[in-house]
Amino acid sequence: MTAPTVRFTDERLANGLRLIVAEDHLAPVVAVCIWYAVGSKNEVPGKTGFAHLFEHVMFQGSRHVAKTEHMGLVQAAGGTLNGTTWLDRTNYFETMPSHQLELALWLEADRMATLLDALNQENLDNQRDVVKNEKRSSYDNRPYGEWSNKLQAHLFPPEHPYHHPTIGSMEDLDAASLEDVAAFFRTYYAPNNAVLAIAGDVDPAQARAWVERYFGGIAANPKIPPLGDMTVPAILGAESREIVEDQVPLPRHYFGFRAPRFGDPRLEALEVACQILAGGKGSRLYRRLVREERIAQDVAFFALGFVGGASIAAGEATVRPGVDPDVVERAFEEELERLGREPVTADELARARALIETYELEALQRVDERADRLAMFATLLDDPDLINRQLDRYLSVTPAEIQAVAAEVFRPDNRVVLTYMPASGPAARSADEETAA
Amino acid sequence: MTLEEILAARPTPGQPRAYSFPKFERTVLPSGLQVLTVHVPGRPLVSANLIFRIGAVDETADLAGATVLMARAMTEGTERYPGLALIEAAERLGSTLHADASWDAFAASVEVAASRLRAALELLDELVERPTFPAEEVARLRDERLNDLLQMRAEPRRRVEQAFSQTIFTAESPYSRLAGGDESTVGRLTRDELVGIHRALLSPERAALVVGGDLTGLDVPRMAEEVLGSLARRVSGRPAATLPWPAPVADSAVDRPIVRLYHRPGSVQSEVRIGHVGLPRRIPDFHAVQVMAAILGGLFNSRLQLNLREEKGYTYGVGAGFDMRRGAGPFGVRTAVQTAVTVPAISEALKELHRIRDTLVTEAELAVARDYMVGVFPLRFETPGAVVGAIGGLFVNGLPDDELARYRGLVEAVTAQDVQKAAHEHIRTDRLAIVLVGDADVVAKDLEAAGFGELEVIRDEVPGEIEQVDPSEGDEEGE
Repeated sequence: MTAPTVRFTDERLANGLRLIVAEDHLAPVVAVCIWYAVGSKNEVPGKTGFAHLFEHVMFQGSRHVAKTEHMGLVQAAGGTLNGTTWLDRTNYFETMPSHQLELALWLEADRMATLLDALNQENLDNQRDVVKNEKRSSYDNRPYGEWSNKLQAHLFPPEHPYHHPTIGSMEDLDAASLEDVAAFFRTYYAPNNAVLAIAGDVDPAQARAWVERYFGGIAANPKIPPLGDMTVPAILGAESREIVEDQVPLPRHYFGFRAPRFGDPRLEALEVACQILAGGKGSRLYRRLVREERIAQDVAFFALGFVGGASIAAGEATVRPGVDPDVVERAFEEELERLGREPVTADELARARALIETYELEALQRVDERADRLAMFATLLDDPDLINRQLDRYLSVTPAEIQAVAAEVFRPDNRVVLTYMPASGPAARSADEETAA
Repeated sequence: MTLEEILAARPTPGQPRAYSFPKFERTVLPSGLQVLTVHVPGRPLVSANLIFRIGAVDETADLAGATVLMARAMTEGTERYPGLALIEAAERLGSTLHADASWDAFAASVEVAASRLRAALELLDELVERPTFPAEEVARLRDERLNDLLQMRAEPRRRVEQAFSQTIFTAESPYSRLAGGDESTVGRLTRDELVGIHRALLSPERAALVVGGDLTGLDVPRMAEEVLGSLARRVSGRPAATLPWPAPVADSAVDRPIVRLYHRPGSVQSEVRIGHVGLPRRIPDFHAVQVMAAILGGLFNSRLQLNLREEKGYTYGVGAGFDMRRGAGPFGVRTAVQTAVTVPAISEALKELHRIRDTLVTEAELAVARDYMVGVFPLRFETPGAVVGAIGGLFVNGLPDDELARYRGLVEAVTAQDVQKAAHEHIRTDRLAIVLVGDADVVAKDLEAAGFGELEVIRDEVPGEIEQVDPSEGDEEGE
């Protein structure tokens, strides 16, 4: 089985907008995906959560699009859409029936060119409330909800741009002003800070003409401030531990490690290791902790790739009732460290490769995933063709490479252990609770 | 032209490319097994789904959870592949075996390269026909379910769903339970019950194999007869499961507006469900109901979203809809709102439920919903997995083969009058149950004063506390 090659064109408009077009006509659908090279890492102290709040403002209209009309027009055209914010980037995407491509391009261009015309205090206040409710839903009111924010804070020092969570803090969200929004937009939402990828049922010449028409006249920002040096030592230096009391019935450990940066082949070896460790019922952690020793209710292990400083390798295990949490922690860590001591078996590696191949093929079936990956590889690594080499890179990972990266990463002095324990009494009111905004 | 002139002119759509739902072929094998195949060119992965019309809704109350547990236990080893050997064999093919039971169906499925389809079907056959249900693995999975129920109690979103079902359905209805069962029955389940459920399942008259992908050069029906033919020969003299089945009991336990609040101290949001017993899948006005539900709470710009999120900022998201099953599943508005605005948020949601019953939707609202549902159709069915899933749904619900081919025309024909009629008939404002998980110390008094309905506060659950699960004690929810 071979993966179909994704053929694409890659060019820049005069204003710096990078345009990638991948044509295929299997289904009458087309995906538009625009990545801006700005994320929570670009936020400054006192303004955390801003990149994400801004993403919400991007759906509040622009000069020729009324509030909520962006959603309405896309849905009335039979399309789907959303936007997401992460440490390294913010992205916006629409998947459309192919005859509606021009609408999606126009909508993206209108907000890149004229967002501030529609910005007002009412919309900002409204989306601030929505985002605060998103924070309550996704973190504050959810058992174990703070784990990822806590891991980030342990793995990166306070002055590092990856230290704070993308969702931000309630205080900082409250402090965001219209001037902040305008300045953020003028600084980062410029064509030379964006990659536009179009994939699917598209005539490339026509798409290029539309992109030139709608985006060509938008001015570049020649003064996008560079980020400071994000380098951190490859290893944390000392183990970091925290016990969290929460409204949870079962204890759970979260593990975090600094890992090689996104794009480093060692991170790909680590991702294969993640498959062998926790990818389904045949994996090592599941087999030992859940099935054989029956000390864990569930296990997981995965990598979150970042381009600045270090990535995060993270895992979790929920402790079964009546089991000593320390026993679960030791078994979990033993399995991680064993990967660094002895090579994986040929059969384990063959199974992991076969599964990874299927996952990749499955993902690349969809136009939205193709557009997203082209934009991702272009934005983060300046190498959109990785979409065609990624699978081979996974498949060529050797037992020695897995062992080497496991030995580098899974060290006690590179480890964060976060242990959630059932709170002894009714939980104290969350520090973030406040009166109605 | 200036940029302003260019952007001031909205683009108009081009000519839509012709699209129709992929045609599927039906073959009935000598064994009685139906094989439905759909050729989706250019797709290297094939999706295969062996689906049986039997689900959690068919269980008796004392066995609640047995079908779901049986499905989970099926991948724990078979006669030829003991223990994890079955899982490993599938992984060598690059695939994961899935065995899942829902309210209406059990399905064993796999996604695999076309060249390995036969080998994957052999594993599906092994899983479905010859599972050994090792007693100690069954016990482990049962304990995992009991632990999961503990976790569920602490997760407001899951807790409120369970409470909502228990509130709106009578205790006689299977839908008042969790599909996976709760402490009152799961703790009692053993290998014997699972074997019993499995025996009932193994009836080829109940089954269909749905296969989709690039099937060039594959004779799927023949392959299926060779690999799955013995499924029939192992089981004989079993009565055919014919349609229509008796509808599952789905009676309403509620005959007037009521409010039920589960106290969760310190909650920064209230999880809210508002609704009642809804509709089954097979109804004559299905398309009008779906358009109505989209306008009310399905679209990103639904009335509920525009009001509670985009205008008031009460929530990150709110939705509403009918969960249509073989029997009448729940209709509900679902949201989580900041604790301090719990009462006004419910008031606004109720306003929207009344408004869509009492007045016609605008032509613009109707057009957006209709055009979305029609236009998004090709996006929904981009991959073989999605196509196979939809065809499986037709089989389970006993719907005609052309149901999906006719879908877009029927949606386009829905009028504003149809929408109002659907809302008027199927949204029962006279028997709305409002179920919440939130901080009663903060919201109970205002809820009482708001007069939405008789208020009952359940305080004896302490989230986060591990209760000793004693299966012999039965239901401990304290309602």
